[in-house]
Amino acid sequence: MGTGGLGVKMGALDGRVACVTGGTRGIGLAIATAFLDEGAKVVINGRDAAKAQRTLAELGRGDQVHFIAGDVKKKDDCEAIVDGTVAHFGRIDILVANAGGAADFAPIAQLPDEPMQDALLWNFWHSFWVMRRAFNYMIPQQWGRIINISSVEGKVGKPGMSTYVAAKHAVNGLTKSAAKEVGTLGITVNALCPGVIETDIVKEGGAGAAAAMGLTYDQLLAQFAADSAIKRINEVEDVANVAVLLASDIGAGITGSLISIDGGTAPY
Amino acid sequence: MSTSTGKLAGKVACITGGTRSIGRAMAEAFLAEGARVVINGRDEAKGRRALAELNAGDRADFYGGDAAKQSTVEGLIDFTIARFGQLDVCCLNSGGVQATAPVFQMSDEEWNLEVDWNLNHVFWGMRKSLQYMIPRQSGRIIVTSSVEGKLGKPGLPGYVATKHAVNGLVKSAAHEVGTLGITVNAILPGIIETDIVRETGPASAVAMGVGSYEALIEMFCSESSIKRPNRVEEVAAVAVLLASDAARNMTGCLFPVDGGTLPY
Repeated sequence: MGTGGLGVKMGALDGRVACVTGGTRGIGLAIATAFLDEGAKVVINGRDAAKAQRTLAELGRGDQVHFIAGDVKKKDDCEAIVDGTVAHFGRIDILVANAGGAADFAPIAQLPDEPMQDALLWNFWHSFWVMRRAFNYMIPQQWGRIINISSVEGKVGKPGMSTYVAAKHAVNGLTKSAAKEVGTLGITVNALCPGVIETDIVKEGGAGAAAAMGLTYDQLLAQFAADSAIKRINEVEDVANVAVLLASDIGAGITGSLISIDGGTAPY
Repeated sequence: MSTSTGKLAGKVACITGGTRSIGRAMAEAFLAEGARVVINGRDEAKGRRALAELNAGDRADFYGGDAAKQSTVEGLIDFTIARFGQLDVCCLNSGGVQATAPVFQMSDEEWNLEVDWNLNHVFWGMRKSLQYMIPRQSGRIIVTSSVEGKLGKPGLPGYVATKHAVNGLVKSAAHEVGTLGITVNAILPGIIETDIVRETGPASAVAMGVGSYEALIEMFCSESSIKRPNRVEEVAAVAVLLASDAARNMTGCLFPVDGGTLPY
């Protein structure tokens, strides 16, 4: 962030309103914090209102940030999060579909329907529902930024993680199609594809994913690191920095991109 | 922007082909973020004019020479280290086509020019800067590639082949130095109406069988989602990000700035 001639802080996102699903912790919180630092007003979403109140208190940004409770696996909640952003701050310029994950990992031969449906709801349907709703506001105003938090697993595959891998590949496909639909309307649609980051969600679900791959949690992280060029896992701030660039005016020429933030892991 | 608080405060960068267009925009953005910068170009007078326009005093300098020559690329890096005492960011940006043709009519001269200009230039610059950066366990290499590093266009075989090769070089180098505090990335712009494209576009349009320069630009735009050319500032903003400390964990990345052109 720079400083204007009158000593007024000038942020890359001054005047913008952003909505971040799953914004109370992990990558979403890092993105929300970076957006706030650049002058945006931000809605963060999460399932747990008590956790959110702690997050809001820690952020200490007063009216600049607002919490909307909701479960992104539910369509009504997804639409209410977007509508609520507009109701509270008067508009929506930037949508970050960040919530996501998977649980109950297993090899496909042993995989019940439920974990696949859950992963698709959490990652894919959620991204679709909030994007579709946000387009209702962004298309008329001819300005918008959609940032889907995908994963390196949206570009490659891991055994035992088919739920997450399929859901994130679907998000990447949705991103590319949407970018072409709104490309001339001042709206960009991009996906960020981070390598593994030790967020709360990964700590919660990682052991199960590791077990489905025949590994311990530590071995799973080590394998992700080994697949990278930097031989270490990524950090939430890595993702937030790119999100700010895409969300800003200067990001207008980048759309339909699946940007790897993975320490050199994805082959393309 | 203060020179002490910018995202690149204290950093030193060199940029091949930095007197105009994409390289020039990178220089402007780097200077605005507090870096010191050496730009390069073939034309000494144009270089001096660019320095005057950059208006950055002793934070910017010019090194003359053709980036398609090994002596220029290596000389630029030596000059930058001598001039500013260090090298943190090496932008291998120069490149283009001169008199392209379909493969069956391609001359050895044009082929060799494009290999030297687009590929060998990047290799020479990367090797030389890595020899400096590896002992220091710190550095950023940013290569200006192209959407044609992932696609293919008829009539541009040298450009397409060398940009593909550059992308491979970036990925290989990224893995070599990934644990050494050095990142190696490529930016893949879509069509931008740079001076080079304006100069060589009419001949390229003929080689590609699209008739006119305007038709060439329109063809590239029509393949994008935004239906317009990209802008040099859009590329420069990504270069700033990749050059900054914040991007320490991004490497081997082929970063498109193409308005939604590439399929992957």
